[in-house]
Amino acid sequence: MLTDVQHGIKQVKYSREALAAKKERERAKLTEYQSLTAAVLARVSSDCDGTTTPSLYEPALAQRKERSWTSESFDLTTKLLHVNPEFYTVWNYRRNILLNGLFPERTPTQINDLLSDDLSLTTAFLKQHPKVYWIWNHRQWCLQQVPDGPSEADPNGWRQSYWNKELYVVEKMLDADPRNFHAWTYRRYVLAQMPIKRTEQSELAYTKRKIEANFSNFSAWHQRSKVLTSLWASGKLDKAKSSQEEFDLVQNAMYTDPNDQSVWIYHRWLIGPGDDRDILEREIVSIQELLDEQPDSKWCMESLVFYKRLLLNRYGDVMPSEGKRDLGNECLDLLSKLQDIDPDRRQRYADLAHDALHVQ
Amino acid sequence: MDFDVVVLGTGLSESIAAAALSKAGFKVAHVDNNQYYGGDEASLTLDELAKWADSRTAEANEKSPASYLANQRTRYTSISRSTTIPPQSRQYSVPLAPSIVPSVGPHIDSLVASGVSRYGSFKLLEKVAVYDRPGVVQSVPGSKEDVFKSKVLSLLEKRRLMRFLLFAAGEFEGKKELEGKEHMPLLQFLREAFSLSDKPAIAIAYALAFCITADEPSLPALTRIRQYLRSAGRYGATPFLVGHYGGLGETAQGFCRTSAVKGGTYILGRRVVAVKSPSPAVDTSPHDEKASTSPSTEPRYSVELEDFDEPLTAKILLASPDYVSPVPIVDVPSSSNPVLSGSIYPVARCIAIVDKPLWFTPSELPDEPAAAAAEAEDAVDGEAEETPSAPLAPNYEVDTAVLVFPPGCLADGSVTTAAHVLVMGEGSMSAPRGKCESSRQTKRLLSLKERPLGIVNISLPCTSSSGPPHSAEELLRPYLDATLTLAAPLSVPSDSQPIAPIFTVFYIHHSAPPHPPPALSTASSEIIVAHPHTSLLPEIADAATQHAEAMFWKAVEMLGRRSPVRESGSTDEVEGKNEEGGEKEAEEESDPGEIDSFWPPLDAAEVESADDW
Repeated sequence: MLTDVQHGIKQVKYSREALAAKKERERAKLTEYQSLTAAVLARVSSDCDGTTTPSLYEPALAQRKERSWTSESFDLTTKLLHVNPEFYTVWNYRRNILLNGLFPERTPTQINDLLSDDLSLTTAFLKQHPKVYWIWNHRQWCLQQVPDGPSEADPNGWRQSYWNKELYVVEKMLDADPRNFHAWTYRRYVLAQMPIKRTEQSELAYTKRKIEANFSNFSAWHQRSKVLTSLWASGKLDKAKSSQEEFDLVQNAMYTDPNDQSVWIYHRWLIGPGDDRDILEREIVSIQELLDEQPDSKWCMESLVFYKRLLLNRYGDVMPSEGKRDLGNECLDLLSKLQDIDPDRRQRYADLAHDALHVQ
Repeated sequence: MDFDVVVLGTGLSESIAAAALSKAGFKVAHVDNNQYYGGDEASLTLDELAKWADSRTAEANEKSPASYLANQRTRYTSISRSTTIPPQSRQYSVPLAPSIVPSVGPHIDSLVASGVSRYGSFKLLEKVAVYDRPGVVQSVPGSKEDVFKSKVLSLLEKRRLMRFLLFAAGEFEGKKELEGKEHMPLLQFLREAFSLSDKPAIAIAYALAFCITADEPSLPALTRIRQYLRSAGRYGATPFLVGHYGGLGETAQGFCRTSAVKGGTYILGRRVVAVKSPSPAVDTSPHDEKASTSPSTEPRYSVELEDFDEPLTAKILLASPDYVSPVPIVDVPSSSNPVLSGSIYPVARCIAIVDKPLWFTPSELPDEPAAAAAEAEDAVDGEAEETPSAPLAPNYEVDTAVLVFPPGCLADGSVTTAAHVLVMGEGSMSAPRGKCESSRQTKRLLSLKERPLGIVNISLPCTSSSGPPHSAEELLRPYLDATLTLAAPLSVPSDSQPIAPIFTVFYIHHSAPPHPPPALSTASSEIIVAHPHTSLLPEIADAATQHAEAMFWKAVEMLGRRSPVRESGSTDEVEGKNEEGGEKEAEEESDPGEIDSFWPPLDAAEVESADDW
C-alpha cells in the first residue's frame, strides 16, 4: 500500500505491536488530561462568587477551595492549554487570574513582561493551531492590556513595538497563504491599532507586491480598492492618473489570465457606476480585443454584456437609436454564446437576454 | 578477491548503479583510476583540476596504449589552463560536468529513495536569463508571475505566452495543436501553433527547453519544458537545484558512500592494468546459467590493479567506457525518453574563477530614473517593518544562475549552437570567500575587501559545420568575455578595468564513441557500459540516473535476479515509511529474495521517527 499524505500529515502504517503501544500512550495522556482539567476547573468554580453555571465535571464540585487566582493556578492553566488550546473556559480563567490575581501587585514593567510571555505562548500555539479563535482572542486581549511605557516621555513605546511585531506576524502568514482572508482582516485591525500609523502609500505598495506575486487573490485586490478609495477621497493621490494606472495593471492581469475572476471584479469596481463614458467605451474595446484573441473567454463575454448594458442604461437617451439597437443586439449575441459555453448558468443568461430585450 | 560485480569508474551513473547493487545485497568492488570520486562528473579542487588538465594534456608515454588515461586523452582535447593557481585552491569544488537538477524527475526520486539526499544539500537556482548585450540580460518568463510582471512583452504576447505555458504544462500528447508537428522544429512550432514572436520564442527554446540548435524537434523539447514547469514550486519558485560543494561530484560520492555502508569495497587511485573477460571456451548459453554450477566454475571477469597482489574477480563487470575499450560490450538503452539532444556533439567547455559577483540586469529596466525612483519609493515604504533599511534600487546581483547565449547572439560566437553558462557563487558552497589581503584587520576594511568568489562554467556544443577546427579557448573566449561584462552593475562607469578571471581552464569534451546496437543475448561475456547520453545542463543528472537504473536491472538479470542476501524485511516493510513514489510493497511477503525495485525501502535506522502525537 502506498503511504499517502492526507491534509499534510503523513499516514504511517503501524504494526500490531506498535499500534497497541500507541494506544497505551494515548490512554495515559487521556488520564493525565482529565485529572488536569478537573484540577483547574475545581479552582475556577471555587472563585466565581456563585455566578458560575454548575461545572460539568462532578468530581471537581466536591472540592471548593478558597480563591485561586494564584501563580499556581496560572501555571496549571498553562499546562492544560498546552494540551488543549481550544478550551476557552480556561483561557477566560487565565485572563481573570492575570487581571485579578497577578496584575494588581505588579509594576507596569512586570505587567508588560507577563503580557510579553503570554504573547509568546500564543505565538507558539498558533504555529500548531493557526485557526483557533480563542488563541487569537487571547492575543488581542493581551495587546489591549499593554500599559503605557517604557517611560513617560514615550508612553506608546511598548505598544508600538508589539503592534510592529503583530504586523510582522501577519505578513509572515500572508507570505505563507496570501489568500487567507482572516489574515487580511487581522492586518486591517493591526494597522488601525498602531499608535504610529503606516502610510497608506506603503499599504498600496504591499498590495501591489502581493498581486504581482499571484494576482488570483480577491483579498489583495479588495485591500487595494479600500486603500485607493481612501487616498482618492483625501486627495493624496490624483484619481484620474491613479485610475489609469489601475486600468493598466488590471489589463495586464486580464491578458495574462482571462479566467481569473478576481481581476474582473476589480475591473468592475474601477468602472464603478460608469461616470466616465470615454473610459467605459475604451474598456469595452479593449475587452473585445482580448475576446478576439481568446474566443472562449466566458468572463470577457460576461463583462462585455455588463458594460454594454451599463452604457445603454446611462447614456442611452443621448445615443442615436441605431447605436442603441446595435449595442442591444451585441448583448443578445454574446448572451447566446454564453449559454453555450457556460451551460450551468443558462437560465441567468436567458433572463438577462429577456431584460435586455425589454430595455430596448 | 571475489565479488558479484566489479564497477570500473566512479562517475555518476556507475556510482548510482553500485549503490543500488550494494543495497540489493550484492558484493560490489568499485574502482577508480583517479584519486577522487566522480570520474567524468567529479568536482575538483583547483589543484586537482590543474593536475587533471595536465595529465590529460601530456603526451602518451606509458606502456599500455589502451589504458584509461589514453582514452581520457581522446575524451578531452584542446586543453589549456592558467599557469598560476589562486590561493585557497583546496576550498574549491569545481564541477567537470556542470548540472542543474529539476525538482521533479528520476534523479531527485533516486536521491530521496536511496537516502543519499541526506548526505548532501542543495541551493535553488535563482534565475535563468538570456544574454542580450554587454552588461544586460533578458529575463525568461517561466511562470504566470513572470509573464504578468514583464515590461517587455506586449499584452498579446503575454496572452499567447500564457496559452503556450498552460499547454506545455499539461497533457499535450494527442492535442490538436501538436498533431503532426511532433518532429517540427520547436521554434517553428511556437511560431505556427502559438503565434509567438521571436523574442519569447527564442527565450523558450534556449532558456526554458534548453535546446542546443534551432532545428530541434518539438516533442522532446516540450517534454522537457513540461518537466521543468512542473518542477517549479516544489522546493521554491524556480525549477532547478544545484548541489552544494560542486554538484554532481559530491552526489556521486554520496552514492559511493551509501554503497560502502552496505558493504561495497572502494579502491581509489589505482591504475587498472588489465581487464580480462572470461575465457571464451566456457559455454555461455543462457541455459547453462540456470544449471547449478558451483561458484568457482562460473565464468569470471578478472581485473588487475597496479600494485595489487590478487586480481579482483567478478561474475559481471560494469564499466565507464574509458576503462574498457575493445572488449565486447552491452549497450544498455537508456530510457524510454525520446532521443536526448546534445549527445552527439563534442562540447567546448570553459571553467573560470571570477572574484566579482555577476549582475543579471534586465534589458527592460523602466525608463530611468523617474520610474526607478518610484519603484524604490515603493520598496522603501513597503518594507518599513522590523528593519527599515530597504535597498534603494532592486538588486540584480545573482549567486547561482544560468546564462544562455542563443545561436548567433554573439558576433564572434557560434551561429548554429547555443551556449549555456552556469554561474556558481558563494551560496553553492563551491567556492570560498576570498580573504582580506590587507594586513589591517579592522572590521570595516574586512567587509570592503572580502571578495566573493564564483565559478563560471561555460558549455558550447560544437557542430562539425563550424569550419576548420578551433581551439577550445578560441571558441569560448567571446562567451567568457560577454559573461564577464555582467560583473559590474550598469551604474559603475564603464571605463573601469574590464574584469578578468583569476583562473581559467578550456577544453573540448567528446562523448563516448557510439557503441554497436545492444546485443540481444544475455551471454555473460559482456560488460555493461555506463554511457552518458547527454551533456545538457538540466538533463545530465536524470539521464545518468535512468541509465544507472537500466544498468542495475541488466546486472540483476545477469546475476540471476535474486538477491543473495536480503535483510528479513517483514517488520521493516510494515513499519517503514515509503519514501519514493509509485512503489508497491504489500505483495512482497511471497519472496523476500526477489528484487523488484531499484531502491529498497529505507530501513528503520534511516527512517525518521513517525510519532506524530
